[in-house]
Amino acid sequence: MFAGPLEAPRLSFGEKLLSFNWVFVLLISCLACVGAAALYSVAGGSFDPWAETHVIRYCLGLGLLFAVALTDIKVWVRLAYPVYVVALVLLVAVPILGVESGGAKRWLQFGSVSFQPAELMKVALVLALARYYEWLPAKYVSNPLALLTPVAMIAVPVALVVLQPDLGTAVLFAAVGGGLLFLAGASWIYFVFGIVGVLAAVPFVWNLLHDYQKARVLTFIDPGKDPLGAGYHILQSKIALGSGGVTGKGYMQGTQSQLNFLPEKHTDFIFTMFAEEMGFVGSMSLLIIYLLVLLSVVYMALRCRSQFARLVAAGVGITLFVYVFINVAMVMGLVPVVGVPLPLVSYGGTSMITLMFGFGLVLNAHVHRRTQFRRHEIGII
Amino acid sequence: MSGSSDLKIRNGRFTRRVLMLGAGQLGLFGLLGWRLRQLQVVEAPKYRLLADENRINIQLLAPSRGLIFDRFGEPVASNIDRMRVFVVPELSKDLSDSLKRLGRIIDISQNVRTRILRLARKQSPYIPIVVDDTLSWQKFAQINVMSPGLPGVRTDILSVRQYHGGHDMAHIVGYVGAADKVEVNEHPVTRLPGFRVGKTGVEKGFEPKLRGKAGVIKLEVDARGHAIRKLETHASQPGRELVLTIDRDIQNKAMERLKDERRAAAVALDVRTGEILAMASTPSFDPNDIIYGLKDGEWNSMANAEDDPFTNRTIRGQYPPGSTFKMVTALAGLEAGVITLKSKFSCHGGYSYSKAYFGCWKRGGHGAVRVRKAIKQSCDVFFYNVAQRIGITKLSAMGHKLGLGQTYDCGLPLQKPGVMPTPGWKRVTLGKPWYGGETIIAGIGQGFVLTTPLQLAVMTARIATGREVMPRIVRPFADEEVKPAKPLDIKQEHLDVVREGMWAVVNEGGGTAGRARIPIAGVEMAGKTGTSQVHTASSGRKSSSLKWEQRDHGLFVGYAPADNPRYAVAAIVEHGGSGSRAASPVVRDIMTALMERDPVSKPTYVARDAVRKTAGGNRGGGEG
Repeated sequence: MFAGPLEAPRLSFGEKLLSFNWVFVLLISCLACVGAAALYSVAGGSFDPWAETHVIRYCLGLGLLFAVALTDIKVWVRLAYPVYVVALVLLVAVPILGVESGGAKRWLQFGSVSFQPAELMKVALVLALARYYEWLPAKYVSNPLALLTPVAMIAVPVALVVLQPDLGTAVLFAAVGGGLLFLAGASWIYFVFGIVGVLAAVPFVWNLLHDYQKARVLTFIDPGKDPLGAGYHILQSKIALGSGGVTGKGYMQGTQSQLNFLPEKHTDFIFTMFAEEMGFVGSMSLLIIYLLVLLSVVYMALRCRSQFARLVAAGVGITLFVYVFINVAMVMGLVPVVGVPLPLVSYGGTSMITLMFGFGLVLNAHVHRRTQFRRHEIGII
Repeated sequence: MSGSSDLKIRNGRFTRRVLMLGAGQLGLFGLLGWRLRQLQVVEAPKYRLLADENRINIQLLAPSRGLIFDRFGEPVASNIDRMRVFVVPELSKDLSDSLKRLGRIIDISQNVRTRILRLARKQSPYIPIVVDDTLSWQKFAQINVMSPGLPGVRTDILSVRQYHGGHDMAHIVGYVGAADKVEVNEHPVTRLPGFRVGKTGVEKGFEPKLRGKAGVIKLEVDARGHAIRKLETHASQPGRELVLTIDRDIQNKAMERLKDERRAAAVALDVRTGEILAMASTPSFDPNDIIYGLKDGEWNSMANAEDDPFTNRTIRGQYPPGSTFKMVTALAGLEAGVITLKSKFSCHGGYSYSKAYFGCWKRGGHGAVRVRKAIKQSCDVFFYNVAQRIGITKLSAMGHKLGLGQTYDCGLPLQKPGVMPTPGWKRVTLGKPWYGGETIIAGIGQGFVLTTPLQLAVMTARIATGREVMPRIVRPFADEEVKPAKPLDIKQEHLDVVREGMWAVVNEGGGTAGRARIPIAGVEMAGKTGTSQVHTASSGRKSSSLKWEQRDHGLFVGYAPADNPRYAVAAIVEHGGSGSRAASPVVRDIMTALMERDPVSKPTYVARDAVRKTAGGNRGGGEG
């Protein structure tokens, strides 16, 4: 049915730039600006210590984004599995060589640089699953044997981060993995079984949870039970949010945030601070920007011809969605407190790099939307 | 071909599923938006209120309690700072470790340590437990400097009342204590830890003036309760200074004079102003003991002591006035017109009424007696006659006129009114009709008639001046208007004859209280003895042969100088025997001290807040 050649011609640099999705770049830049403004306010009206660094990181992130986007997509196809393996090895190394911080081992230390293998895995998992389904012929998509490999590819990192313990990231891996299996076309039956299975496993998993994780879930169920203990964060966050009202208290006027009632207000709880100062109008506007970013990712994924490209784009989209949803739902007391940052707004270098890398891959897919791979180009490995 | 159909399947399925996923995401975003609307629009007012509560911490500032001075500025009650250290178990991870560290700075005995640890187990961990409340500045400062290394250890400074004059002033000044349930509801400031309110004496009577006004600080606080800045401050207004009418010098002398009696009371008044110069009641107590915390046993033993040291007998002791009441009977008779200055009654040692016989204290009788002689020699028969002729109602009315049977609105709480009996009073309180014989003994201050020493002093002052003198315990405040006492509306010649009789009691041969003469040349006292029976067995028997509780009360009232009255003194010695022997020397000695010192002629202390007020007013005037 396709009139054109199976393989699009190699694109020149200029053509790549022309086919770039500039609206998307504009949208994520908006988010970074909101982040910088919020961090300026959190610091009590100062670029130091967060806002300035945030902007610099975003600019560096943009460089990474362009580099990733303009690289030939075949390079990413080829790198997909090796990157996944490296990420997996590093994840395994964490409990052995990792550095402990705040009751959890999540970091690896290389000289003066500390590094979170789970972040690399966020990208690697998307790449590897996309690469797998690029290879897998469509008719085998629901074959149980063919399903075993991707499920293992998802389950192993999930298990490893649960052990760290990092509940938020585990949920993210599971959601992105499951989402990609769904998009790749696996039968509904599996998802029904999967959901039933997860529900059945809840009591068992509950026993495996650490006390602080149990406490978080329990306080999520009833935050008023222990207002100065574990429920404190949720309650204070709701007070800050609610007291913002429709129009907010005004930029840099958020009493609850400015007076330190909020925990982690420059990272995980930055949405609360923003919503307190900007009100319902501001916080809805921010959510709408995220929605526009997500819709443009879906739009780009739909226009890709290769399974690899569209699954990569969609996978990054799911990652972004899970981040935003968990973070915003958490600060409003809809889900338990899990340490998930608000993409591009929260302060934090690691998540910024991961996200910009991911967005780079989305744009890469968009730039190479016409590219299709020949059968012989995509081996099993 | 297979690749192409493969692609088609893939494309179609991907498009469908990505749109489904997108729709799912859109739905979840809708959920977020709905929740956001609920929090920020629907429930916003609730959270705004919570936010303010979070943010604003209102603290009351306790006003410092007004100081109390005597009339010459001698301190009676003042405030001292007490530095305390306490532990809050909740804030201390390991209480015994905190105590060990604190123990390196101050001495903590093993007993105290065990007590604290036991308390900490028993009560809520948020309740502070005092470790030491008598820290020196040095130790206090040391603990504060070391506080980062002392988790759960806190210090504060408490303003504590200190009483000067101990036992001597106790009944007048009273003492302060923690607010009880009723008082706590009056004003939230009473809930502040360590806040004290007056419990008795002028501390209670002048509580509103002494307390001052609480201040308020509105603080903006952060999540840890640390103050960020003050939003509003209303400074507290210290309580007003109280200048008592008491002269501590005279008070001390009066207390000293009563020291050897088991239970006795004496009151000295300025007859013109009603100012109480001394108000002595024995036994007494030291209010500082109560402030500094009595142990349960100590309190009970004091409160239940036989002679009840907590009772101020000058206002709460109700005694039959005995013969000191005879001036009332005389004036009542004269004013009612049942007798005149010339009326004569014959005393043969007793008086028959109905079937009863009422004896005179002098068995042989006084012969023919007119008013003046009746008072001078305290002839009972004369007053039986008068009382029987005027009736109890008019007699009691004269008692009221002279200040008996009532409490005074002078800021002394817990006064007892005494009794000026009437038939109506008896019907109400005892449910029985009035008998004529009861009128007759009321004429000599026995029977139902009861008075307090303060009332007797007021009565004496009123007779001496002919004016409706009201007692005062506190010097007038700067903004208080003092009206001079109104005349009593008693004929001058009637008053004169009673005064002459009282003068004769002390200064004429044959008077009942020759021993009350003042040992100062040219100063004469007028007075009246009283011996009130408390036990029927006492009549006609020598005091020394009776048990103490059965002996008569000895009373004496007097004023001096007789020709130009300035002071009135009343005294009672419980079970002291005759008024002449037991009470008149007490009055004589207090009166002598008064005459020598003459406190009312000296300028008094002016409260500092009054001075400030006047000074401020002057400045304002200058600017105007």
